[in-house]
Amino acid sequence: MSNGTPDKLILAVPSKGRLMEQTAEAFAVAGLTLRKTGNERGYRGEIVGHPEIDVAFVSASEIAWYLKTGRVHLGVTGEDLVSEQMSDAATRVTFVKKLGFGNADVVVAVPDCWVDVRNMDDLAEIALLFRRTHGRWYRVATKYLNLTRRFFAARGMSDYRIVESLGATEGTPAAGTAELIVDITTTGTTLAANGLRILDDGLVLRSEANLISSNVAPWTEQTRAAMADIARRFTV
Amino acid sequence: MPAETVKHFEATEASAQTLLGAFTRGGYEAVSPAIIQPAGVFLDVVGESLRARTYVFSDPDGDELCMRPDLTVPACRLHLERHPQASVPAKYSYDGLAFRFQPLGSGLAHTREFRQTGIEAFGEVNRERADAEVVTTIAAGLEAAGLASYQLRFGDLGLLRAILKAADMPPRWRQRLMHLFVRPQAFKAELARLTVEPGAASAHIPAELRTLDPDDTAGAEAAVTRYLEANGIEQIGLRDIPEITANLLGRVADARSEPLSAKTAQLIASYVAIVAPARASVRRIRELATLMGIQIEEAVGAYEWRLELMAQSGLDLERAEFSADFGRSLAYYTGFVFEVVTPGLGRRSPVAGGGRYDHLLKAVGAPEDVPAVGAAVHTDRLVTALANGTTHANGGAP
Repeated sequence: MSNGTPDKLILAVPSKGRLMEQTAEAFAVAGLTLRKTGNERGYRGEIVGHPEIDVAFVSASEIAWYLKTGRVHLGVTGEDLVSEQMSDAATRVTFVKKLGFGNADVVVAVPDCWVDVRNMDDLAEIALLFRRTHGRWYRVATKYLNLTRRFFAARGMSDYRIVESLGATEGTPAAGTAELIVDITTTGTTLAANGLRILDDGLVLRSEANLISSNVAPWTEQTRAAMADIARRFTV
Repeated sequence: MPAETVKHFEATEASAQTLLGAFTRGGYEAVSPAIIQPAGVFLDVVGESLRARTYVFSDPDGDELCMRPDLTVPACRLHLERHPQASVPAKYSYDGLAFRFQPLGSGLAHTREFRQTGIEAFGEVNRERADAEVVTTIAAGLEAAGLASYQLRFGDLGLLRAILKAADMPPRWRQRLMHLFVRPQAFKAELARLTVEPGAASAHIPAELRTLDPDDTAGAEAAVTRYLEANGIEQIGLRDIPEITANLLGRVADARSEPLSAKTAQLIASYVAIVAPARASVRRIRELATLMGIQIEEAVGAYEWRLELMAQSGLDLERAEFSADFGRSLAYYTGFVFEVVTPGLGRRSPVAGGGRYDHLLKAVGAPEDVPAVGAAVHTDRLVTALANGTTHANGGAP
């Protein structure tokens, strides 16, 4: 990323889909026009009239990684991805502005037929019984390994196994590859269609797209000024 | 990230060799368990919280492995590789690195790579004798390395189990309290709840599922099936209707039980609060048992006998304190637990610790439970403690 001049601010924005469009809209509302430079399928861009800023189009999960390692100064990505990738988000990054799109909840969901399991305490209570019956801990399918671990640990729960799932997580209980899931949902319709129910206190994280600055990027007087300029436009 | 594993290489090697020498002279065969371990074994035994503190990774074959977070499970695996039935008793000693992620950053007493020099005794059926021997062997090793000023902390999960077992309450409550013991706040809340309204934990379950008849399992299962059908809920996954019903019936039984007597709850709470010099604690526990009107003499007698054996081996029990809630945060211990604490490093950074873990060998693959007890010196901390000047007047390690 940082092959530009050291004094340029590097901004990472999502490279595809609805998230890219909504980011461009949010910047437009703030009076900033995002534009790709060169090839339409390329990954570099600019903000019209702001030569002090380089724009990089990257996938949302990579943006969290770039912010964490300081490869970009500023980025637009979901809180879910930031919290998942950083155990110490508060020291690594600063949340500048909630952008009001990309809203979704990371939740714990169990088969609806588990009529005896309505909340996290109920889930903890069946751990021993499940192990005695099936000879192992119940499995939680998720792509949010760290969020899951932290959420369960905060409730003193350790008696489960995580199964990493990179797609179609909501189908794993019916397929028999996991007993329950931790996944992101906007309306809950997909969960219900797969016979799953969100636990009463199963909200792990309420996420939306954020403008986030990296605390570990190589900041200079010029990049700080460019960042202050952008932040001001978003907060008026 | 630090570039050096230890700052005082020669001093650390010298202390480790002194300890290992003391251990092998005590009959603990020196062995070298593997550093890279299968992660699944640890995840099964310790649970998912392991990932928060352990370097877990996949190798090019896609197998999930970890850097050993301690040497106890690796020693169990070594023993089972040699004796798959775990049918022979064995005593092992080891000296090597263990690896733990330090969420708050690596500090002097909490490094991500640290040296453990320790012992494990498997298959000794005389548990109190094996417990006492492990403590005295560790103490002898520490003293041989030059440590003069230290305190011992003892705990005993067997005593809590005996108290819960003897106290009048349904088996489900007992299991739940034992399980919650590692979470002090939740344990306290559960005790309080059971004295008032044991059914409260089920108040959010649909009413028609709270009135099932515990004496009619088939009828209850039919009722659960009807409930699912009436609400258009599909049965998916491994937990079938009998399993779900069994849990619901347990809850119904809870709700119908007499609340736990306030006196019993109070006495359990006062047991957990006991902190006393080791010798005096025996009397305190006996008094409590009398007040509760329960018979736990077998467990108290075992505790007292263990202390007696330590004293006979020359251990100075004036250094030892008993704390009933010690052992809470430790993953796989099942009975006696202890720690060695130095004034300089304090309780948060014990220089040695260990205890009894009778279920671990079975969890790792033995056909049945095997009595097991062990302990390890945190050798880097020992070197720090020695350098801090808690040494014998005539030296020892530098």
